[in-house]
Amino acid sequence: MSDVTVTSFKRGLPGAAWWLPLGTAAVFLALWHMLVRLSGSDLFPTPVEVAKGIIELIQKGLLLKYVVASLFRVSWGFVLAVLVGVPLGLTLGWFRAAFQSMNPIIQILRPISPIAWIPVAILWFGVKDSAPIFLIFLASVFPITVSSMAAVQNMQSVYLRAAQNFGLKGPQLFRRVIFPAALPQIITGIRIALGVAWLVVVAAEMIAVNSGLGYLIIDARNAGKRYDLVVAGMVMIGLIGLGLDVLVRRLEKFDEVRWGYGQR
Amino acid sequence: MKLGKITALWITFWLVLITGLHGALNLKWLVPKLASDGAEADKFKVGFIPVTCHLTCPVTDFINKSTTGTNNFDPIRFNGFPELKEAFLSGYMPATFILAPLAMSLREQGVPIKIVYLGHRDGTAMMVHKDSQIYRIEDLRGKKVAVPNRYANQRLLLFRALKERGIPFSEVEMVEMPPPDMPAASYPTAVDAITSGEPFRGQTQMDGYGRVLYLTKDVWPNFISCVLAVHEDAIKNRRAEVQALVDGIARSGKWLDETMEHRMQAGEFVATNYYNQNPELLQYVLSKPPDRVKYTNLNVMRKDFEEIEQLGREAGILNGTAKFEDYADPSFVTDDTAVKPWVWEAAKK
Repeated sequence: MSDVTVTSFKRGLPGAAWWLPLGTAAVFLALWHMLVRLSGSDLFPTPVEVAKGIIELIQKGLLLKYVVASLFRVSWGFVLAVLVGVPLGLTLGWFRAAFQSMNPIIQILRPISPIAWIPVAILWFGVKDSAPIFLIFLASVFPITVSSMAAVQNMQSVYLRAAQNFGLKGPQLFRRVIFPAALPQIITGIRIALGVAWLVVVAAEMIAVNSGLGYLIIDARNAGKRYDLVVAGMVMIGLIGLGLDVLVRRLEKFDEVRWGYGQR
Repeated sequence: MKLGKITALWITFWLVLITGLHGALNLKWLVPKLASDGAEADKFKVGFIPVTCHLTCPVTDFINKSTTGTNNFDPIRFNGFPELKEAFLSGYMPATFILAPLAMSLREQGVPIKIVYLGHRDGTAMMVHKDSQIYRIEDLRGKKVAVPNRYANQRLLLFRALKERGIPFSEVEMVEMPPPDMPAASYPTAVDAITSGEPFRGQTQMDGYGRVLYLTKDVWPNFISCVLAVHEDAIKNRRAEVQALVDGIARSGKWLDETMEHRMQAGEFVATNYYNQNPELLQYVLSKPPDRVKYTNLNVMRKDFEEIEQLGREAGILNGTAKFEDYADPSFVTDDTAVKPWVWEAAKK
C-alpha cells in the first residue's frame, strides 16, 4: 500500500514532496491577501498582519506559554483516553456479552459534542486544568474504543485458527496474535482520535482557564478588534496539528505495526 | 517488544516534560511562595467578565495590591456569563459580578444567592450601523437586535423602551450573542442593532462604523445591569471578608468617579493587566461622554429592583416568586454618601 505512494512520488520531479505543498500554500496566502484587500474589510486580517500578531505573541513570551498549556491538556486528556479506550475496546471486541451490554451506551455517548459537556465539566471540576483535560478525554476516548473494538471483531479468522493450531491460549494468544493483528487499526483510530483531541482544544479552553491557544482565540475576541490574534491562534493550532499527524504516522513504520498489514 | 517499549518511554518522557513546562510557565511552580500567598486556595474568589460593568473588581484588586502588596480576594476572569454562572453554582467561587435579572432568576430557582452591591449605573448603548436607516426606537420594528443574554438588563431596557412607545415586544427579533462577537456582527450588518455592556459598543464607534441610537441614560436613567452577588453561606461564615470586599468595591467606585484622571489611570492599568484590551478603547468609553457609565450610588435599593422585577415578569424571564428580601442583602453599605474614595494615584508611566 505504502509502496504504491512511494513509487508515484518517485515519478514526479525531484523534491516535489516539498515544493508542491509549499507552492500551494503560497498561492493560498496570496489569494487570502488579495481577497481581504478586495473586500476592503479592516476587520479580517491579511496574512502579513497575522504574522505580525504571531511575532507580537512571541515577543511577549505568550506563544510558548500558550502552546505548552494546550499541549499539556491535550497530552493528558489523550493519553488517559488511550489508556482507557484501547483495553476497553479490545475487551468489548473479544467478549460478546460485554459488547452487547456496553455497545448501546457507547454509541449514545459518542455523538455528543464536547461543547455540550462544558457545563458538566465546570460543575464537576471547577475552572482548573482538569476540566479541559476531561473534555479532551471525552472527545478522544470514543474513536479509540470503537476502532479497537472493530479491530478485534474484524480480525481475519485465519490468524486465530493458525494460533489455535499452535496451541496458543489465554494471555499468550492475546499478546502474540490478537493484539498485534489489531494494532494497525488501533493506530489508525489513535491517529483520528489525536486529531479530534487537538480539534476540541478551543472548545475545551472556553472554560475560564487563563492560558492555551483556545484561550488565545477567546481572549482576542474579548480584546476588541484583535482578529489578527484570533487567526494567529487558528494558524498555530493548524501547524501543531500537522506536526502531531506526522509524528503518529511514524508509528506506522515500526515492523510490529506493519505485521498486521500482511506485508513486511 | 521494541515498539511498545520505545513508545511507552517516549510518552512518559513527553508527559513529564510538558507537565514540567506547563508548571513552570503557566502555574508558576518555580516562583517562590510568598507568605501572603500561602492561603491562595482559601482566598475569597470573585468572578468577573472584561466589561466596564465589572470595572470596580479589577480596580479594587489593583489598588489593594499596590497599597498593601497583597489582596484578600482573588479576581477570576471569565469570558461569558454561562461559564461564570456555572462556576458560581459549582461552589468554585463564593462571589461574582453577574447580570441582575440572572441573579434574581437563580434565586427563584432556589440558588442561595444574595445581591449585596451594584456594579455600576448606566453604561450601555444601543448601536446601529452608521449607514442604517434606524434613527428612532420606533424604527427597530421588524429589525434584528443582538442582546447578550435573555437575562440581560439590556433586553429589559429595550422591552421598556418599546412598551413606552406602544410597540409589541414581538415586533423586534432578538438574538442572543456573546458581547465580544457583536462588533464583528454589526460591521457587515448581520444584525441591525447591538446592545451590551461596554467597551464593545465603543469599539464600533472608535472604528467609525457604529452610531449610537440611544445611551442607557437617555431611556432608563440610573439603569443597572450588573451587580455583585454573594453565596448565602459566605455571608453567614465569611461576613468580614464580604464586608471588606464590598467596602473595597464601593471605595473604588467613588475613586473612579472622583476625577477624570482616575478614570484614565484605571483605563490604562485595567486594560493592560486584567482585560487585555486596548487602553484607548477603555479610556474612550470611560470618558465620552463622562456619564456614559457611573460608579456612584451603588448601594442596593428596593425600588430599583422592584422595577426590574416588574419588567422581568412582563418580559417573561422572572416569575415573581423571589422578593427583594430573598435575593438582596443591602446591609453591607446602607448609606452610599458615607463611602470615601481611595486615597491613591497610579504611578506615572
